[in-house]
Amino acid sequence: MAAADSPTPGGFLLNRSEWALLGAIVVAVVLTALVDANHSYWFQPLASLRDIARSTAMLGIFALGAAVVIIAGGIDLSAGSMIALSTTVCAATMLALAPTEMVGFKPVGGAVVAAGCLASLLAGFLVGTLHTWLITAVRLPPFIATLATLVGLRSLARALATSTTAALLPTKNSQINVYDPAFKFVRDNVWIPVAVFGLLAFVTWLLLTRTVLGRHVHALGGNEQAARLAGIRTDNVKWFAYCYGAMTAALAGLFYVANESVAAPAIQARGHELNAIAAAVVGGCSLAGGVGTVPGTVLGTVFLRVVIDAVAKVIKTEAEIYEGLIVGVVVVLAVTFSQVGQFAKGGRRIFPGLLGLCAVPVLALLVGSVVAMTAGPRAGIAAGLATLALLAAVRFWEGRQTAAARPV
Amino acid sequence: MTAAPAGSGTADLAIAMRSITKRFPGVVALDGVSLDVRRGELHAICGENGAGKSTLMKILSGVYRPDAGALEIHGQPVRFTGTRDAERAGVAIIHQELNLVEDLSVAANVFLGRERRTALGLVDDRAMETETARLLEMLECRVAPRTRAGSLRVGDQQLVEIAKALSLDASILVMDEPTSALTEAESARLERTVCRLRDRGTTILYISHKMDEVFRLADRITVLRDGRHVRTVDRGATTPKEVTCWMVGREIAGQVFHEPRPHGDTLLEIHRLTLPWPEHPRGYRLADVSLDLHAGEIVGVAGLMGAGRTELLETIFGVSPPTWAGEILLAGRPVRFTHPREACDAGIAMVTEDRKRLGLFPDLDVAGNISLCSLHEALRGGLLSRSREEALVAGPLRDTGVKTPSPHASIMGLSGGNQQKCVIGRWLLTEPRILLLDDPTRGIDVGAKAELYQLIDRLCRQGMAVLLTSSELPELLTLSDRILVLAEGRLTAEFTRAEATEHRILEAATGS
Repeated sequence: MAAADSPTPGGFLLNRSEWALLGAIVVAVVLTALVDANHSYWFQPLASLRDIARSTAMLGIFALGAAVVIIAGGIDLSAGSMIALSTTVCAATMLALAPTEMVGFKPVGGAVVAAGCLASLLAGFLVGTLHTWLITAVRLPPFIATLATLVGLRSLARALATSTTAALLPTKNSQINVYDPAFKFVRDNVWIPVAVFGLLAFVTWLLLTRTVLGRHVHALGGNEQAARLAGIRTDNVKWFAYCYGAMTAALAGLFYVANESVAAPAIQARGHELNAIAAAVVGGCSLAGGVGTVPGTVLGTVFLRVVIDAVAKVIKTEAEIYEGLIVGVVVVLAVTFSQVGQFAKGGRRIFPGLLGLCAVPVLALLVGSVVAMTAGPRAGIAAGLATLALLAAVRFWEGRQTAAARPV
Repeated sequence: MTAAPAGSGTADLAIAMRSITKRFPGVVALDGVSLDVRRGELHAICGENGAGKSTLMKILSGVYRPDAGALEIHGQPVRFTGTRDAERAGVAIIHQELNLVEDLSVAANVFLGRERRTALGLVDDRAMETETARLLEMLECRVAPRTRAGSLRVGDQQLVEIAKALSLDASILVMDEPTSALTEAESARLERTVCRLRDRGTTILYISHKMDEVFRLADRITVLRDGRHVRTVDRGATTPKEVTCWMVGREIAGQVFHEPRPHGDTLLEIHRLTLPWPEHPRGYRLADVSLDLHAGEIVGVAGLMGAGRTELLETIFGVSPPTWAGEILLAGRPVRFTHPREACDAGIAMVTEDRKRLGLFPDLDVAGNISLCSLHEALRGGLLSRSREEALVAGPLRDTGVKTPSPHASIMGLSGGNQQKCVIGRWLLTEPRILLLDDPTRGIDVGAKAELYQLIDRLCRQGMAVLLTSSELPELLTLSDRILVLAEGRLTAEFTRAEATEHRILEAATGS
């Protein structure tokens, strides 16, 4: 196996940064167990585990797709909208095939459910094909192509929901309710999404590390021109990667339908594409392409969900407000820690010059205000001042180091 | 050597270089070069590719710092730590690759980083445009200052660079092969401009290997060879023939493969290949190129930068969409590849010129880099097998003599020579009949070069047909059975090994 297995040196099964991530997950869980006033990790371990497992599996399924696209040197911003389209296509297909049962809250039958799921996956394939065409034939940068579908697909999903309900139901509706027991069964059995996530992770790992196509994905992401000159049909490899990204999102969409018993394209999975990209990046995927692993992505997803859950346990009220903030901070910290070596070698400063001087109060203000809003103004001021003092000390120390290193 | 006696009249010198030495890993680019440039003269620097001309100019303009030696500008010792320092000292350089921001206007480019401001602190476009217009008029350049720089032709872009240098009030202007991409008319205009600048008192260092140009313009000529200073002479005291001799006059180092190689069937024939180049005044990258290549033969393609060597190989390999006219016959069958994959399947392999950019996969290990084109042979039950892959790459690792701690070491940790052997090994696994080598030893140290020469000779004796380009003439003379010379997209000469000399090739390549 080539570097696909171990892009950074060292380590049994996982590479060094992945072991570090695993350690961070354990630390986060232990801290939450200690700090949480309700001690829910102690008193309701199963319920807590179920929550985290469900949310991890739901995010992880399409984070794996995002990772494949990123390793291939691309980016897919449209996963959240693809999920919305997937839920809508699934529900609309079932509504079209069995309108009376859908309206009457009755079981629609296995065949109809299967048709709905297949239609969703097909939609994923079509969207992936569209992305690849836009990128390779129209020559749009992947960011632009998937930005267009990020905006466009959600709108398309809403139009689909509205027009399908208008055509088949007495009143048109912006969402389609799904009551089939098959979906209820999936919602009540957390092991199903977890098993699907585990299987998908295994398949993706096998694909990336043990198949020719996977090696070509790494080669494409590492050096696209060289890959072409080595005789790799790079357009076909991209086609695979973007379809994998869109189809995993479509698959995740089916679990959204099950979980929420509704296809609500206006709000479902809004912004979740960024969580998936964040999970991949935290797990060690490089946006420059060519670098990344499945174990890393899985651990990145788990870490993200554990930290979000930890903050929810600690803050309790309206914790979802802080979800974006947490994801942002985790991404910045994870990527910064992966570069710690460069800072340690003294080649780079983290607070250089005037910019560094201004960054110190900005960070202190950020910490102070967040603490003030969650734990009261006094704690906020204290935290802000402490951060200010700490970072100022770091900057002062850094300045001394640089001055000492300069030749006389 | 021309090193003036210490302390004598250095104030008259615009530039005084004393024993400048610059080493790169594995290569000594400059070896104790001393050079005096008088104030106000036009001083031409001649030398082959790799002679150290560009390195010398980069030291003068602050891009590189010398490992040893001293530099004086107008009698003042200087130590440049960046191009800004050089600009402040009045040295401006016009690089071979132009450095314009394509999306900005001409005026904005001329004043980039030194924008004029109004009293309110806003960017004063009008002042900059007026000044740019004045400079361009002086340069006979009929371009509006508001034109987008990227829309200009190369010749005009070059004049914009000169305008930028003039706006700096540079007293020393360094021009690195300025006419290599220009048409006749543009070259003539540039020459007039250069003469006018010299008449105004600007000191000009002019790098070129076009003899006619050098002898029309220069006051004095310096010849560099293999990183050493050969001599500096007045133009009147020498002839183009003599200068060419100095440029190439080294003993050809190392091995020559005297034993004749047996030739087999004709594998590749090219008839009147023409590759259009719509956006260029010349209109073509290659015109009417015909050649044939036999099994067991090495054909070398010589030519200056931009002569079309790489384009020739890329056209054969199907790298870009087939817009070419003419005929390419592979073992007698006409082919027209649209993707490198098809060329690979037909038994052609190409080792690209720019190893880092076009050859290596930094995130794959040594084994992964070698096995990439033949992964189907490393499968077991449809999946890649680590042991099969190791067995697969063991052959090329041994044959090409790659020195690596392990097949799973990082490819970026190897030396340039070993990286290149890995790339060649990758292609050998595909068992090609025709091997295209585009400047295969660029940036590789002497020892590794010799090993690669032996490898190429051995492959050829096994019946492979090799089409080789190189920027170094000794390399072509060492390896090739025949040498074709390209000049500005056309074949200008063909020599057998017995006929070929560096001198004759250079004459055909420069059209002198």
